Amino acid sequence: MLLLANQCCRRLNAFNCAGVWRRRLSTVDNTKINHEDCDIVIVGGGPAGLALAAALGSSPSLRRNLSITLVEGGDLRKAEGWAQIPGSFSNRVSSLTNTSQSFLNRVGVWDHIDKGRTCGIDEMQVWDGISGARIAFSASELDLEKLELGMARLTENFNLQRGLLRRLKDIPEVRLLQRTKVKSIVQDAGEHGQWPLVYLENDRVLRARLLIGADGFNSPVRAYANIPSFGWSYDTQAIVATMTHPPRGAFEGPNTTAYQRFLPTGPIAFLPLSPTVSSLVWSTKPQLSAALLACEPPVLASMINAAFRLPELSVRYLHTRILEAQSSGTPITPSEIQQEILWREQSHSIDQHSIYASANAAATIGMPLEGSEAVPPLVTTLQPGTVASFPLRFNHAEAYIGEGLGARTALVGDAAHTVHPLAGQGLNMGLGDVESLVRCIENAFLLGGDIGSHTSLLPYAQERYLENHILMATIDKLHKIYSTDLQPIVWARSVGLEVLNELDSLKAAIMLTAGSRADNAQRTSATAWNIASKGVETLVAAADASKVLAGGLQNLLSTKLQGLLNTERAPGQQKRV
Amino acid sequence: MSVLRHSRRFVRALHTSNATVNPEEIAHFSRLSSQWWDHQGEFSFLHKMNPVRVQFIRDKLLEIAREENDDLDIQPTHVLRDLDVLDVGCGGGLLSESLARLGARTHGIDASESNISIAKVHASADPKLSPPSPLLSYEHTSAESLLTSPKRYDVVCSMEVLEHVDNPASFLSTCATLVKPGGHLFLSTISRTPLAYALTIFLAEDVLRKVSSGTHTYSKFIKPNELIEFFQNYRDPSSSQNKDSISIPWIRTNGTYLPRTQAEVRGLIYNPFQARWHLAARDASGATDCNYLFWVRKPALKSSDGPAAS
Repeated sequence: MLLLANQCCRRLNAFNCAGVWRRRLSTVDNTKINHEDCDIVIVGGGPAGLALAAALGSSPSLRRNLSITLVEGGDLRKAEGWAQIPGSFSNRVSSLTNTSQSFLNRVGVWDHIDKGRTCGIDEMQVWDGISGARIAFSASELDLEKLELGMARLTENFNLQRGLLRRLKDIPEVRLLQRTKVKSIVQDAGEHGQWPLVYLENDRVLRARLLIGADGFNSPVRAYANIPSFGWSYDTQAIVATMTHPPRGAFEGPNTTAYQRFLPTGPIAFLPLSPTVSSLVWSTKPQLSAALLACEPPVLASMINAAFRLPELSVRYLHTRILEAQSSGTPITPSEIQQEILWREQSHSIDQHSIYASANAAATIGMPLEGSEAVPPLVTTLQPGTVASFPLRFNHAEAYIGEGLGARTALVGDAAHTVHPLAGQGLNMGLGDVESLVRCIENAFLLGGDIGSHTSLLPYAQERYLENHILMATIDKLHKIYSTDLQPIVWARSVGLEVLNELDSLKAAIMLTAGSRADNAQRTSATAWNIASKGVETLVAAADASKVLAGGLQNLLSTKLQGLLNTERAPGQQKRV
Repeated sequence: MSVLRHSRRFVRALHTSNATVNPEEIAHFSRLSSQWWDHQGEFSFLHKMNPVRVQFIRDKLLEIAREENDDLDIQPTHVLRDLDVLDVGCGGGLLSESLARLGARTHGIDASESNISIAKVHASADPKLSPPSPLLSYEHTSAESLLTSPKRYDVVCSMEVLEHVDNPASFLSTCATLVKPGGHLFLSTISRTPLAYALTIFLAEDVLRKVSSGTHTYSKFIKPNELIEFFQNYRDPSSSQNKDSISIPWIRTNGTYLPRTQAEVRGLIYNPFQARWHLAARDASGATDCNYLFWVRKPALKSSDGPAAS
């Protein structure tokens, strides 16, 4: 459940202006329009849209018999010709679960991915920022047929996108319309039966049997289908960066361990890409994120090292220090922050040769220290131009398929759901959608069904909605449970985590949720997320029990807890998009 | 809307000299005709049942084609190509459209004129089914009226119709006559069992009200054994005039055993938790107590498919 990753698949901008989008209630008489008939129109050329096009095109019967068009507003040539000098890495990376990898392999995409630029994760270390309670997951505990698979594979989004585009080159039947913005989507006139008409900027009109929105969080297809979505913004910004660090020593393991520490401000994750390069995803408060991004990069590098090592109290102090410097107009300098960190280490009696010391990076070079694998390698520099941030949100469409006036539509990927990156599931959920939708379309096609009809698409919604929902709710609750420093809850969750650590079977179930099994993990993963969400409930129950111990705190705590877990129901926070 | 206008014309729909069309039944479905293509409305059960019916038809044709041609490479999606298919009681065209998409030259007929106009309008939205595609045509007529034309079909389907006609025996022989020698007849209907009453009338119509009250009449339900018995005794009336054809029954066994190449009965089971229909296994006990599919094959002209059982 705590698989780490950077889920910041940048949505290529398919649309110039969101304001253009509105649902037109009037319908259009198609006899007057010179339209092109398409069986499937995919809007959006991000990873989900491209994977969908590739998967549809990989099915011989669909490729030969259906016309498939993908429309993308941006220029895909940039992703297609993407090349980065060896040793440097893009800051947008995703964790591909084994389930996702085997799906990409089946649809012929995996061969087009530069595996040299990916990194298998063999182990995950996750710990609570306040109590220090820790769990470790490792691939060897998984019942994997092929151990070399690892638990998941970190891949640059560009690497995946380029691989998808290369695969699509082999499938000329799938038409890619790039640098083509969608002007509007309207409904075809009455007698001709509610088929969506997609107006393109170049005055072409596509009449779609099935219109699929892979068009991201502000999905215009979702707006056309009139599907409401519910969600909220977390008061959190994710900082991403590509970090360089010395290689692990000869007596340490390779750099294949992912680390994630849950700080009250949000989790910070360290995701290995190569022996000397790793990717950062640091979810934190927007103010702090802005201040950190305004500092010189070495300050951020020092703060990353400290955030994985110093006690939470000191991390919080450093945050305050940075914010104060920022508001006084003189951002903190690299040497000042070094001094601050050194002082904090001394005040905690952290030896300068301890693995928890980072103020003096040079001091740790040499023989690896006892237990050095409990923390990530010390970051020395951040690759120029890789520091960025984006806001985090939770969002789930109320349906994945349109009905009534918005019939003949389906949503995949971020258009259907947006999730906190702490479990690294966003892109994998999108690929899961794609796999399920393609199977659903193929089944309908083989039985002469109308692939755009509600009946044909229903199995897709049935297969994905609840599964995604359980996963999203679990991730959301985890985020909320870990975003508090309220003592009884800290105690409860540390107990929760340590209890989990003892229960191998439960842990394995949680790991399965990360899709670590290469074979069809469909069924197991649904069950596993059920177990995981039960685990979270146990955690909450433990917190409830702690109420009793806490005596006088009882009322305060129960109010707090309820507020914490039910924010989605609080009218003030709920936001309909 | 034109639908409403059509529905008042049902009386005229009965001008044809057919003994099996029931005026009240036609009036009932004409009233509902505008809802044929609402996938979540009155006919949602039929929409969900449709893929399973097509699967049964497709797989049975495939099984027989593989049996006879020793050609194991026939693709499931190709087996209906270029066949002449008649869909008797096509309603809004749910089955007809699917069969046409699989490449069959499909002719859908219905005794309700408003059903036929709904079916035509719906197909006209689909570029693969509307002209110039020759695959799908509709006609407001009865099966009996087609007997006067010499046209016969490779496949005749009549799904969820048998329980709505008067004089099912006459209806069955009409359908049987319209099948080419060696051709196939597919039926689906509801068995006359307490379970069927409980599910299709009491639950679906009276309790859940998913289906309009009056859609089904218990006494018109037909048991699988009654169909089997009918085709064990049925003789093609035209065969007496044809020297080549030996007048053999379509099912050439006694009792309930059905040779796989002559006839088949399969239960259709609705799973409310998945909201999906399933084709029951061949010999699942009790599976045919409610909805079921029936297939029977007309003997080929020259009795090349084996000697008649005594």
